Amino acid sequence: MKILIADDEPLARERLYHILKEIDDDYQLVEASNGLEAIEQVNQEEPEIVLMDIRMPGMSGLEATQHLIGSDNPPAIIFTTAYDEYALQAFESQAVDYLLKPIRKERLEKALNNCRKLNKLQLEQLGQQNQEITYRTHISAQIRGTILLIPVKDICCFMADHKYITIKHNKDGELVETIIEETLKSLEEEFSNQFLRIHRNALVRKDKIEALEKQDDGRVLLKLKGLSNGFEVSRRHLSSVRKLMKS
Amino acid sequence: MKNDQILNTVKQINRDRVESSLFLPDFCSIKMVFSVVIIGVLLALILTLVPLRMDQQLWSDFALISLFIQWNGLMCSSVLCVLRPFFKKYSNQFVAVSSYLVLLIMITFLSEVTFYIIEAYYLTNIISSASHWEFLIHNLLIGGIISALALHYFYIQHQWRMKVQAESYTKLQLLQARIRPHFLFNSMNTIASLTRSKPEMAERITEDLAELFRMLFREDHEMISWSRELTLSEHYIDIEKQRLDERLSIRWDVSQIPADAMVPALILQPLLENAIFHGIEPEIKGGSIVVMGDFDKKQIRITIQNSNSKNLVHRQGNKIALANIEERLKVHFQGKASIACEDKNDEYFAIVTMPYQTKNDT
Repeated sequence: MKILIADDEPLARERLYHILKEIDDDYQLVEASNGLEAIEQVNQEEPEIVLMDIRMPGMSGLEATQHLIGSDNPPAIIFTTAYDEYALQAFESQAVDYLLKPIRKERLEKALNNCRKLNKLQLEQLGQQNQEITYRTHISAQIRGTILLIPVKDICCFMADHKYITIKHNKDGELVETIIEETLKSLEEEFSNQFLRIHRNALVRKDKIEALEKQDDGRVLLKLKGLSNGFEVSRRHLSSVRKLMKS
Repeated sequence: MKNDQILNTVKQINRDRVESSLFLPDFCSIKMVFSVVIIGVLLALILTLVPLRMDQQLWSDFALISLFIQWNGLMCSSVLCVLRPFFKKYSNQFVAVSSYLVLLIMITFLSEVTFYIIEAYYLTNIISSASHWEFLIHNLLIGGIISALALHYFYIQHQWRMKVQAESYTKLQLLQARIRPHFLFNSMNTIASLTRSKPEMAERITEDLAELFRMLFREDHEMISWSRELTLSEHYIDIEKQRLDERLSIRWDVSQIPADAMVPALILQPLLENAIFHGIEPEIKGGSIVVMGDFDKKQIRITIQNSNSKNLVHRQGNKIALANIEERLKVHFQGKASIACEDKNDEYFAIVTMPYQTKNDT
């Protein structure tokens, strides 16, 4: 069995490594020191179980888990934490398995034996109960079985198109498009501090807004920095766009 | 729930401590003697003005009444002052009753002496209309009422003062208990890991942790010397350094601060904890903390500077630690110390300014 240990503290990883080897010397162990690395390792190594620390720099364990369980064959996840009042309450209410550090060998053994896979609903509710993951730092997309992460700060806009959403984002200096399966409404709620709704089908990055242009046919187009073609602003959202541009 | 239980226990302990202290103020202190004299003058003025008359005798009457009252007041004060060490051994109820009796006896005795002097020196025209008994009973009534009011006032004032004190003690204890539980459990985990790989280091970290918590659990929140505070802060950083490894780098630039300066125990630790929590932990690469010390013969100033995390997830809890330190500075230095914070994009500064006091000053 392959197990991923995700923890930012080298000593914490070292301890888990030793205990896991004591439980079963045949375990294949891989390590990650933050949420991003954890996802990379899951993509590459495809472990069956992830021991996920909640507080990690860059991307927290909770957010990494959110991205992971969206994948086709997600690993089972056991959270580990030293002390996390809010998170623990959330875990208990959702019957999600977690281990408290310093982790006991017997307890870890038990958790490995009956670990289950988290489902999306559980995790969504976890997110609502936990104050710290109100918004993600990355958006994840499934591409041929692996998880692709798009940093939210690189995203210019979200465009809704039937069931899917197209993300226009910068990647290595180029503008690329990626398709995800989420709703514009939930994205708008989550990222309301960074993105603004300008049309029934579009959310744009606030700090990319450059100018409003009135067309001959009466439509109003919004120009974004670094993008040649404009985005149509609906009449309903025009006032909020103007308000933002004034401030 | 648990916090409430702790709160109640702490409150109870403080209440017990309060009940056991004496409500009578120290009548030997200059402040008390002065108040007794002032109250005496005011009482004499009231007694002179009450008959509603205006003649030439008025001010000489006032002088005599004032003399008599001052004599009474100061004699009573000195007796209470002498009896104070004795009163300290008894409950406040007993002290209230017995001090009241002592005051009445004193007034009787002084009235008798006064009456004797008046008769002996043929000064009867002053109290011409009053007989011996009338004189005594009037004095006892006035004195009895004033004494009862005064004792009641002292009792109320004492209760109020003790309540304030108990509240600030409670706050102090609770706030000091706010070292993040995270820190304790993370340290335990570090020790558990080190026990296997580096037993000597595990031993040292355990010792450091013990020293920190010993200081935290000290009941009296006294001041400690800067050199001791610095050692404790270094212990704290040593523990965190084990956990965060090279992600945490710190520079101490505090040689200017005199080693004998007295500071509230563990005033620095919460600020360092904040710096780690907000500046180091959220960053994959970590960050650095700089502790700077300035000294200008009157004040010491400690600045803690840390890199500001650019990560969006801003954790809460910062304000609690700052409010805690502000409260403790208030209790220890009565407004002569301060804490200020500055958020300058990439850097965060916490600046503590305290008056320079040595052990002899406190």
